[in-house]
Amino acid sequence: MFAGKRLSKELAKMQGHLPPGITFAKSDNLEEWQMDIRVLDDNPLYQNQIYRLKFTFSQKYPIEPPEVQFILLPSTTETPRPIPIHPHIYSNGIICLDLLSTAGWSPVQTVESVCMSIQSMLTANTRDERPPGDSDFVSYNKRRPRDINFQYDDDNV
Amino acid sequence: MDLEELLLVESSCTDEEIVDLRALDYVSGYNTHLMCPICHCALIRPVRLQCDHVFCQRCLSSAVTSSSSGTNDFTCPTCRTPTQTVYTDVPRLLTNMCDDLRVKCPFLREGCTEIMARGHVESHVDKYCGYKLLDCPSKTCDKKTRKKDLDSDLKCVHELLQCSHCEEEVMEQDYEDHLNKNCLRFKTMCPHCQVMTLQKDLRKHIDACPDAIHSCTASKYGCPVKIKRADITVHEQACPLIAMGPYFETQNSRLNSLELTMRHLQQRNEIFEDGFANIRSTLVDASRATSGQANIEISAEGQTESSDSQEVSNDGSQSSNPTTYLLSLHESLREEVGQLSHAITDLDARASMAIMNECLRIKEDMAHTNAAVNSMRMQVQWLMNPRLHQGERTSSVRTNDTNDSRTGQLGSSTASATSASPIPGPSNTSRPGLRPRRLSDSAREGTKL
Repeated sequence: MFAGKRLSKELAKMQGHLPPGITFAKSDNLEEWQMDIRVLDDNPLYQNQIYRLKFTFSQKYPIEPPEVQFILLPSTTETPRPIPIHPHIYSNGIICLDLLSTAGWSPVQTVESVCMSIQSMLTANTRDERPPGDSDFVSYNKRRPRDINFQYDDDNV
Repeated sequence: MDLEELLLVESSCTDEEIVDLRALDYVSGYNTHLMCPICHCALIRPVRLQCDHVFCQRCLSSAVTSSSSGTNDFTCPTCRTPTQTVYTDVPRLLTNMCDDLRVKCPFLREGCTEIMARGHVESHVDKYCGYKLLDCPSKTCDKKTRKKDLDSDLKCVHELLQCSHCEEEVMEQDYEDHLNKNCLRFKTMCPHCQVMTLQKDLRKHIDACPDAIHSCTASKYGCPVKIKRADITVHEQACPLIAMGPYFETQNSRLNSLELTMRHLQQRNEIFEDGFANIRSTLVDASRATSGQANIEISAEGQTESSDSQEVSNDGSQSSNPTTYLLSLHESLREEVGQLSHAITDLDARASMAIMNECLRIKEDMAHTNAAVNSMRMQVQWLMNPRLHQGERTSSVRTNDTNDSRTGQLGSSTASATSASPIPGPSNTSRPGLRPRRLSDSAREGTKL
């Protein structure tokens, strides 16, 4: 109830105005939204690409963080959406960002602010690489993103 | 008060609320500064932190309970300043502005259309709202009743009654409403034939009504007739447009297929035009680069070109009929390419023939040379042999002299020496008169070959 009310308020506000480079892809229910984001400057790693973020909201949102990850739509589909290359984004789309963990989350964050954080995280990146141990993580990880204990050891990117 | 107290206060006062202010429908928008950053509602019982950030009391306490770090090092959700104390002395201005927002009565769905300031909602619901849902006075019934419908002698109004007109089952509390609005017993007049029918049968009646106005089935071909259903069959038998109907149909389908092919052809045409544009631009570039000379050459080569297009080619880009010019140019270029490829295949065939011939000749020469070399070798061997023989003989004579052996032994030793020698040709030292002639004969044969 609380989560639904808050989300419909956010939705109403964002439908009026969205920051540049961020668009709704799917918001037909109040449990899962999909957003398309685009990097605005001419960073060669992400040029001319649109990425899709999936937000999954729990009943306790915004007290609990939403689950946010990139999702892959194959290039054969009408709207191809790759997983961006970034030292903090695994190739299955899971994002290592302390803002999205229970510890780093603050209930004043919104879908919009999370999108903008991820957008700026991509903008600032110059390294064309996946996180260390990406293939192991991707093949063995069965946990949900919020249960993973990431080490937020790298503040540079 | 500190955070622990806040949690205590909050847990004690949650049950007392008459109206959930968070669920209210706000009539007008409100400034985002009046909005709690956590629930995005206008602030409800606002509290303030040391850093002057304001939240609803309940939002803040749920943020505190859920924060992983606990109450000891709680940080402000907005600015992450470590905070321990909560102040309830929020400026009255803020609370007044929030309480002044216009909201709809929470029982809007039950029929209360009242709009009031948020500060008055609680008293409205508590005392005045007739649509507030109350528990049914009957102990066995778990349904709710609107306050205004509540019977004075506390009787349950949820029993089902059967409508005396339409046989639908309706709850007692809704009975009056049903009779006035929803009951299907009312008769309505058919707009066409003025016959009274039951409301629920009206649609069925109109579909069959003989007086309903229908347009002719050929109306799509332009028949303007609109008459009653009963007369329409008579009209349709005489209507010339209906007779024409099938013809129109076939024409339509033909038109459609023609349009389709037209579109295809247009597309192809566009593609060709694009190609021409590309060719022209490259040509114009090339002609600019090589100046007018190239143009003259091109026009000289393209014998098939009309005089008009030659002119065009001479003045380069300023062409009056570029397509014809380009087409002829394209033709001549294609011809030239054809000729060139022909010449290339010709040359290729010739070259391979020459190589074959040359190979054969060289092979023959090689055979000759081989034979000559062989004969040479044999001659050399033959020439060498007597000398070797002589050398051997002198050595054997020398040994004979030393060992006092006979000439019979000498003959056998020479025989053994010749049999041991690897070259068979000049081994016939016992017949020196015959061998040389035969050798020279064979050598002469070799050179003849």
